[in-house]
Amino acid sequence: MNALLNKELRLCLHPTVFIYLALVLMLLIPSYPYLVACFFLCNAIFFIFQSSRENGDSLYTAMLPVSKAQAVKARCLLVVILQIIELLLMAGMCAFSLVAMDGANAGGTDHGLSLLAFALILFAIFNLIFLPSFYRTGYKAGAAFLKGAIGVWLWIVLSEGTMIASHAIAQNQSLDLPFFRFVADNIDCFPATGEAWTAQAILFGAALLIYAVGTLVSVRLSVKRFERVDVQ
Amino acid sequence: MILEVRNLKKRYPTFLLDDVSFDVEEGCIMGFIGRNGAGKTTTIKAILNLIHADGGQVRFDGRDLWANETACKKKIGLVLGEFSYYRRKKLKTIADVTKRFYADWDEELYQSLLTRFALDPEKKVNELSQGMRVKLALALALSHHAKLLILDEPTSGLDPVSRDELLELFRAIIEDGEHSILFSTHIISDLEKCADYITYIKNGSVLCSTDADSFKDAYRLVSGEADRLDRFRDRLIGYRAHAFGFTGLMRAENADAAEGLKVAPADMESIMIYTEKEDGHERAAE
Repeated sequence: MNALLNKELRLCLHPTVFIYLALVLMLLIPSYPYLVACFFLCNAIFFIFQSSRENGDSLYTAMLPVSKAQAVKARCLLVVILQIIELLLMAGMCAFSLVAMDGANAGGTDHGLSLLAFALILFAIFNLIFLPSFYRTGYKAGAAFLKGAIGVWLWIVLSEGTMIASHAIAQNQSLDLPFFRFVADNIDCFPATGEAWTAQAILFGAALLIYAVGTLVSVRLSVKRFERVDVQ
Repeated sequence: MILEVRNLKKRYPTFLLDDVSFDVEEGCIMGFIGRNGAGKTTTIKAILNLIHADGGQVRFDGRDLWANETACKKKIGLVLGEFSYYRRKKLKTIADVTKRFYADWDEELYQSLLTRFALDPEKKVNELSQGMRVKLALALALSHHAKLLILDEPTSGLDPVSRDELLELFRAIIEDGEHSILFSTHIISDLEKCADYITYIKNGSVLCSTDADSFKDAYRLVSGEADRLDRFRDRLIGYRAHAFGFTGLMRAENADAAEGLKVAPADMESIMIYTEKEDGHERAAE
C-alpha cells in the first residue's frame, strides 16, 4: 500500500488540490456559508480522478503487481487524507476566528464543532455517491461528480439553511418551535455553555461515525464495482 | 512451462476470443502473430486479468495466475505498446514510483538501459518520440528481472537499427534458459530473426501454435503461369494473380506434389499474408 500511496501522491495528485485547500481561507469571509469551501475540495478530488483517467492511470496501475482492490483503496485513502487535511485546516480557521473575531456567522453555520461536523457529513455524502459511481465504469468521472455535487449541495442548503432559519425562528417570539430554538442556542453558536459544548461534541462524534461508516461503505462498494470493470 | 494458456474465452458484441490455448516454455521467445484486431492484445490483457475472461485458465510458473495475481505479476514484465502514461511527469519520477513495487528492481540495470536507449531521466514523457516511449516502457519492464516478458507490439515505432538492437537484447535475455518472452507483433520480419515458437491468431482463434521451423516448413510459396491457376486453385491457401501468372501459398504436402509449379520455402510474412487472403483470394486475384 505504501508504494501505491506513493504513486497516488507523486503521479496522480493534481496541482490544483493545493489551491483548493487554500480556499479554506474562505472561512474568514464574514457572513458566508462556509461549507462551500468543502465543495471546492470535492472539486479538487474530481480533478484527480479526471486527470488520472487522462493519464491512463487505471491501465498503468493494473499492469503493476497490485490487485484492483488495492488500487481502489489507495485512491480512496488519498481522498480521505485530503479530507482530513481540509478538516484540520478548517479547525485551525475556526480557532483563529473564535480568538480574533467572535465566531459568529449570519450566512450559515458559526465557526465551531458544528461546522466541522457538517463538513464531515458533507464528505461522507460525497464519498458515498462519487466513489462507487466512478468505479462502476472506472472512467466516467464527470457523471459521477455531477451526482456527488448534487448530493453535496443538497446537504449545504439543508444544513446552512437550517442554521439560518433557526436563528430567524428563535428571534420570533410568536413561534414556539423547540427544535429550532435548541439549534440556535446550542448548535449554531459559540459553545459558551456546558450544554452547547455537549450538544456540539455529540453532533461531532455522530458526524465522525457517519463519515467513517459512510466512507468504509463507499470503499467497499467501489472495490466491488471496479472488480467487474475491464481495464482498457 | 512458464506460461500455460488454456481455452481462454472473451466475448464482445462484435468479437469472440475463442478457446485460445498455447504454452510458452522457459528460455524461449514465443512470437504471437496476427493482423490488427485479430485478438492479440485482448489475449494478453485477459491473461493478465486486466480484462475478465469468460472462461479458460492461465498458469504462470505452475501457479494459477488469476488466483495469485499480485505474486505472479512481480515476476512478469509487461509492455503494452509505447509508454503513454503520465505524460507531464519526468522519467525519473515514474521510475522512482515504479521501482517500489518490485523487490527485485535492479537500479544498475535500469540505468544501463537508460544509457543504452539514450533516455534522459530529466525529460518528461511528452518530450519523447514514439520510439523513445517504447524504449522507456521496455526499460521499466526489463529492470526487475522478470521471468516472463509479455511484450505487445514492442518494436512498433522503432527505427530499424533500434529494432535490431532490441532483438539482440531479447536473445541475450533468454540465453540463461530461465527467462522467456511472449512477443506480439504484426512486424513479422522481427520474429523471423528471434522467435523460437509461433502462435498465430486469426479472428480470435488460434490457427496454430508450434515451433518456428515447423511453422515455416508446413508451407511453400508456389508460382506458375496463369493457365495453371484453375488446376491448383483449390489447393492454394491464398494467391495473387499478375501479368505473368500467379504466386501463392500451399501446404507443403500439396506443393511437393504440384507439377509444373515453381516451389520455394515460405517466409513467415508470406504465410501470414496469403493465409489472411484465404477467405477472399478470388477477389484478390481480380
